[in-house]
Amino acid sequence: MQQIPWEVMLILLPLAGAMACFLWPRRTLLFGLISALGVGGCVAGLGWRLLEQGAQRYAVGGWGAPLGIDLYADGLSLLMLIITALVGLGVSIYSIGYFERRQAILFWPLWLLLWSALNALFLSADIFNLYVTLELLGLAAVALVALAGGANALTAAMRYLLVNMLASLCYLLGVALLYHNFGSVDIAILAQRVEASPAVWAAMGLMSAGLLLKSALFPLHFWLPPAHASAPAPVSALLSALVVKASFYILLRLWLEIFPQTGAAPGQLLGVLGAAAVLWGGIQALRQTRLKLLIAYSTVAQLGYLFLAFPLGSSFAWKGSLYLLLSHALAKAAMFMAAGNILRFCGHDRIADLDRVAQRLPVTMIAFSVAGVSIVGLPPSGGFIGKWMLLEAALRAGQWWWVIPLILGGLLAAAYIFKVIGYAFTQAGVLRQTNKVPMSMEWAALALALAALLLGLVALWPLSLMEIGLPFGGSEVDAIQRAEQS
Amino acid sequence: MRSAGRRWHYLLFRWALMLLLLAVAVGLGYALLSLPQQAVGLSEQVSANMATSGVQNPVTAVLLNFRGYDTLLEMAVLLVALLGVWSLGSAEVHRKIDPEPVLSLLVGGLAPMMILMAGYLLWAGTNTPGGAFQAGSVLAAAGILLLLSSKRFPVRLMGWPLRVVLLLGLGTFAAVGMTLLFVSGGFLQYPSSLAGAFILFIEAAATLSIGVTLAALFLGGRPQAGPYR
Repeated sequence: MQQIPWEVMLILLPLAGAMACFLWPRRTLLFGLISALGVGGCVAGLGWRLLEQGAQRYAVGGWGAPLGIDLYADGLSLLMLIITALVGLGVSIYSIGYFERRQAILFWPLWLLLWSALNALFLSADIFNLYVTLELLGLAAVALVALAGGANALTAAMRYLLVNMLASLCYLLGVALLYHNFGSVDIAILAQRVEASPAVWAAMGLMSAGLLLKSALFPLHFWLPPAHASAPAPVSALLSALVVKASFYILLRLWLEIFPQTGAAPGQLLGVLGAAAVLWGGIQALRQTRLKLLIAYSTVAQLGYLFLAFPLGSSFAWKGSLYLLLSHALAKAAMFMAAGNILRFCGHDRIADLDRVAQRLPVTMIAFSVAGVSIVGLPPSGGFIGKWMLLEAALRAGQWWWVIPLILGGLLAAAYIFKVIGYAFTQAGVLRQTNKVPMSMEWAALALALAALLLGLVALWPLSLMEIGLPFGGSEVDAIQRAEQS
Repeated sequence: MRSAGRRWHYLLFRWALMLLLLAVAVGLGYALLSLPQQAVGLSEQVSANMATSGVQNPVTAVLLNFRGYDTLLEMAVLLVALLGVWSLGSAEVHRKIDPEPVLSLLVGGLAPMMILMAGYLLWAGTNTPGGAFQAGSVLAAAGILLLLSSKRFPVRLMGWPLRVVLLLGLGTFAAVGMTLLFVSGGFLQYPSSLAGAFILFIEAAATLSIGVTLAALFLGGRPQAGPYR
């Protein structure tokens, strides 16, 4: 037997874990944690191989594209897998204390299926296979939102489902157009064959619209705040940290590989929408009176930054955007977990009534504040590095006006984070009834927040991983490599 | 005053939406008209590889062999859909009213025929249109008829036996894929002499799972038995 196919393991291991959890509901915790640790090991294995041998292609069933489906792993996929594993591990530990048994037996199989879908998505090199992973991901996410129960959660889940369906169908129509025109659904083959035509423009419009809807770019963000705010805390963390990033990842791949020669106008439009999202999300977050809604609107704003790389289009800008994505995933997961702790502790999440949470839940408040540092983009956090790179890319490209949303967004973020922290430190008149919060829930939040901070201190390491397979590094080099392979 | 303003906004929104959709429709129509008459497609490649696929029907070959990985994930989608319904609430397994005699009589005659039909569709899938999804749907229809007509469903079957059948398709598919990794060195890489047997094996398991999953979806909630109560 040759080398272990870590790619396949990354997809099958959580899938097997989910089936085991479903079959033996009394052992969900055991199977869930084994799967989480196993996935971590597989990511390490794949990372090791990528460092030694460069980008990897795996033909499922031995057929190879265009007849079969290929899996493809480069630096971009690897970083997405690593961040998924980190957030996933944190959420897994957090949810041990969070769910009661009745919810846990449904949470674990759904979460492991979601994890499997995420890994499959980040490894796919085939636009139809990406559609299937999007379906799996979207349905699992909707089911997890509905897990909270209650009218709010069910309404939000229903709206989320309908939005997901519409977005998936838009994407699928685009896939059909591309397949009809070029006779393949493999990204690398399409990248060679594609040439500008009305059908390609239509495909690009449809696929981008679907993916933007799923990524909740302003003004298509309307479904996100209710869905992310009414879900159980670990689910909110997963949705904000990973699920919206998955559709962004596909959009990134398509724009980098299949639609690079589309001209400047669509990129500029995405940039403008991104800037609007940063400002609108920030202002809305500031206006919220509920903590979880505030964090959800903050996600709308933070997602806006990621799109500032599209008008710039340089490899440096893409890397900055990816860096911001990674640190936001860690920080936002930590923040939602902290909010979950506060909600459990106080029995509510009204920001104005967070009396003296700081003194009674110190670890949670430290986690919230440290995550806030990264969200605001202060040094030495991962958020700072990402913003700095975007800022430099904007100045290098001579498009200085993109600096404005970067700075204003930071100020708005500072305002809404400090608003929460300020209330948490207020002296309360009357001590209200409070509930105990398990230690694992507090420390899981802190661990992820610290990881977001750490991302600012070890910047060279993720940046060097981004070079594997040159996902952003000049299409010429990529084209030559591909020509040599085929 | 306020409501009039609101209505005006609403009308404006509707007209803007209609104009937008019209523009999209025109654009899409133009794009479709500009498509090449002869699609490139992959049908040539599919027919060139039919001999090693283990089946004679090209659709089955694509679904279970060339792009079997997609179908594996689709089985997972079915499971997620069911878990989604189960996370909404529980459903009554016992029915309070007696079924009508006409329904009982009809189901008594139809259900065995449908199960037979499902078996035929599964078998036919190897060389004519048919296969696990078609067979599974027929099986599900039989299941729904039984659910509608029987006064009470055996509760002891609603615990782990139900969950085993629900997982059978996905589990078999994944297990075969992994086994082939050790046998022929590639995930889901069938040896061409045994491909037909493997595919039929997977399809049989998938048929059962699809049928039972769809029927369980019809129940509209988790059955009130076992730990999922």
